[in-house]
Amino acid sequence: MRMVGQREPNVIPGFGITLGFTTFFLCAIVLIPLAALVLKAGGMEWERFVGVITSPRAIASYKLSFGASLLAASVNMIFGFVIAWTLVRYDFPGRKIIDAIIDMPFALPTAVSGIALTAVFAANGWIGQYLEPLGIKVAFTWIGITVALTLIGMPFVVRTVQPAIQEVQRDLEDAAETLGAGRFYVFRRIIVPTVLPALLTGFTLAFARAVGEYGSVIFIAGNLPMKTEITPLLIVIRLEEFDYAGAAALGVVMLAISFVMLLAINLLQVWGRKRLMVSR
Amino acid sequence: MSIVLDQVTKRYQDQPVVNDVSIDVGEGEFFVLLGPSGSGKSTLLRAIAGLTGIDHGRISLHGRDVTHVRARDRGVGLVFQNYALFRHMTVADNIEFALRVRRMKRADRVARRKELLKLVALEDLDERLPGQLSGGQQQRVAVARALAHKPQVLLLDEPFGALDAKIREELRRTIRAVQRELGITTVLVTHDQEEAFALADIIGVMNHGRLLEVGHPHDLYAQPATRFVATFLGAANLLLARQSVDGIRFGATPVTAQGAERLHVGREHEVVAVLRPEEVEVAEAREQLSSDYIARGAVEDVAFTGALERLRVRLLDEPSAAQLLGAGAPGEARLEITRTQPERRELPLRAGAQVALGARRLHILPTPISSFLACAPTEAEAEVLAREPLLESLSTRMKTRVGLRAIDGLEGTPEPFAGVAAISAGDNAAATVEWLLENGAGEVLVLPRQAPSPTRVYIHWADEAVRRATLAVSASLLRHVSAEAVYLGIFPEGGPAAGRAVPMRKLLDARSEAQSVHGLEMRTELAIGEAVSEITRNLSAASAQMLVLGITDINEAGTAYRSLLAAQPGWPVLIVYRPQESRISPEIAA
Repeated sequence: MRMVGQREPNVIPGFGITLGFTTFFLCAIVLIPLAALVLKAGGMEWERFVGVITSPRAIASYKLSFGASLLAASVNMIFGFVIAWTLVRYDFPGRKIIDAIIDMPFALPTAVSGIALTAVFAANGWIGQYLEPLGIKVAFTWIGITVALTLIGMPFVVRTVQPAIQEVQRDLEDAAETLGAGRFYVFRRIIVPTVLPALLTGFTLAFARAVGEYGSVIFIAGNLPMKTEITPLLIVIRLEEFDYAGAAALGVVMLAISFVMLLAINLLQVWGRKRLMVSR
Repeated sequence: MSIVLDQVTKRYQDQPVVNDVSIDVGEGEFFVLLGPSGSGKSTLLRAIAGLTGIDHGRISLHGRDVTHVRARDRGVGLVFQNYALFRHMTVADNIEFALRVRRMKRADRVARRKELLKLVALEDLDERLPGQLSGGQQQRVAVARALAHKPQVLLLDEPFGALDAKIREELRRTIRAVQRELGITTVLVTHDQEEAFALADIIGVMNHGRLLEVGHPHDLYAQPATRFVATFLGAANLLLARQSVDGIRFGATPVTAQGAERLHVGREHEVVAVLRPEEVEVAEAREQLSSDYIARGAVEDVAFTGALERLRVRLLDEPSAAQLLGAGAPGEARLEITRTQPERRELPLRAGAQVALGARRLHILPTPISSFLACAPTEAEAEVLAREPLLESLSTRMKTRVGLRAIDGLEGTPEPFAGVAAISAGDNAAATVEWLLENGAGEVLVLPRQAPSPTRVYIHWADEAVRRATLAVSASLLRHVSAEAVYLGIFPEGGPAAGRAVPMRKLLDARSEAQSVHGLEMRTELAIGEAVSEITRNLSAASAQMLVLGITDINEAGTAYRSLLAAQPGWPVLIVYRPQESRISPEIAA
């Protein structure tokens, strides 16, 4: 006779327990704090709320925060791919060391990277002194912010793309080559489609990380209102003024924009995967 | 000729993985490259496809030299073991890939695709993704894709490796049918001899980067020239026998078995006989055998395998009977026998039964190296010598035995020596060589201590009369070591004023004979000067080198070439001796 309700034995305890744990964990450390944030902002009158989040200073900071983050994530997507490709496909002396260095931005306190970047890119810094005569100012401009965000987002792209590149078998390229395809054709039709999902994931992670970044940016940004002030900094400024509700209101806006953008990227990924599967 | 490979060599980190391979594949022929893993067969296939560059030699397809042509311009279709389908594309897109690259019109593409899918019996699966197909179906798609651009040559790299037995059989038939229908020249790489027999018009067997033999499946099976091919193409019992003008003798038993062809005339010598398991006759007593008696045996193991019964039989009353070659110590080798069901019903056997064994058909290998005999003043020293790494690896690779012999004093008239005698290098070596050659040995291997496996073998003969024998021995040796063969032609200074026309012709003759008679690809080097110093100079030029030296005069070993046999610096030297009069008798033909 068949026992009803008996599942295949599994190493990890049953579905009920794991789902319960997942829900509890998500609630405790993600959803409840976020709800508190929304509640806090909800305590404001509507006009004041709109006034805070649409002030010119706030809008300038959104543009900077999200614009620089998107730019940094895009740069990372391209160069992260190149780095990952080099690390997977070639064997050269020092490869292991470079592979280890990739993780450095993960481990470094972000304030340290900010200070280091400022020292290098300031008008009298190692690199800055050569860029200055060319009219390129890095430190204390949006360029500096993008550089900082690129630095901290880079490992996300490299680490997600690496395994995907490893999966592109040499045989596939060889097969395409014997069928008459040139290098660029192989890259475009075989390699990119295979790696693209991982590349988009890496892009998303790098972007999400950049949006929330604070420590490294404030050193290199110069923090001029309307010019080089990112939204997280504006939130901190509001907090220092004991304007908790105002800080929460800006937080809610960031939350909403981030959520919409991440959702869009995810949908794009799903759509892209489907399209690639039945490409015509 | 559709595919011509001319002396193709490919090295990885200085080790040749494909070593001087020359092949001609005819128009529309199905050629199977057979060999164990690591034999260089896949590398060779990739070289034909253009995916791997070669270090030496030429490749031409349909008369066009493609040695330096890129893979995508060679017009070949390649099928991989793991299918290598583009997983993000449908079956239709996979098949049309080559056509899209060539910017073919859509209507033509679709027509060609339908035609191909019909050819591999996969109609109506156009819109599936590879992940939704079984392994056998995926490989059919891969075959269709490889044929889409109408390649002149189809290359298959172990295409059935990842499939189970039944699918494999089915796909094998499909591929054979497709190949016949299109009449496309095909090269398939496999390690499975059954697959090779099922598909091939011509089989080429590779081992250690060398192409050992090429031939029709039946000829290779019935008359292999090398031990490796004999044992790799189906099961084979290898027996040591002695051959003379009177026939073949196993111990004291003379055999004139059918098919025991006579290959060699001259003094009695040791040969290797191939006895296929199905050619062994089993009877209760010697008188009941209808074929030639070879030995008595005790049945050790009986296994039922369906159509055939497999017996393992231990030979009794050695050494008068046949000596079996095989892995392990001499006493451990067993005769493998297969019997059909009617044969089994006639004489049912159980383990422990004693039987008389006969050979219906014997094939004598034309190899000049039958076995090794480690010779040293005492039995203990001979045992140490037998464990020398080079000797051990040679005997293992050649699937032969190393016998032991104490030769204290070099006096009297000993029992004639058989096989290649091996001795230690040193001050006494020259005298020992002379004594061995006087007492029946034809080849002597002089070994310095701990000599490494050679990467280059120099070949030299003192007299044109031993050219043939020296080349035969060298070819036999080089089939079992992955080394480069170099013939060293040395001519005295101040030769004829006419220049170097004569030496050059000798070099070319030697090279073409090595190739045509022994299948040995050999480089040639010409040196002017005194023989021993030139040889020494070349041997000293790099480490891990070896010399094969042909002589016709027994005393030469002890005089002219004495310094080559010293312990220091010491090179392995294989001396091939044929007395002058053997000039008239035809030597071993490969």
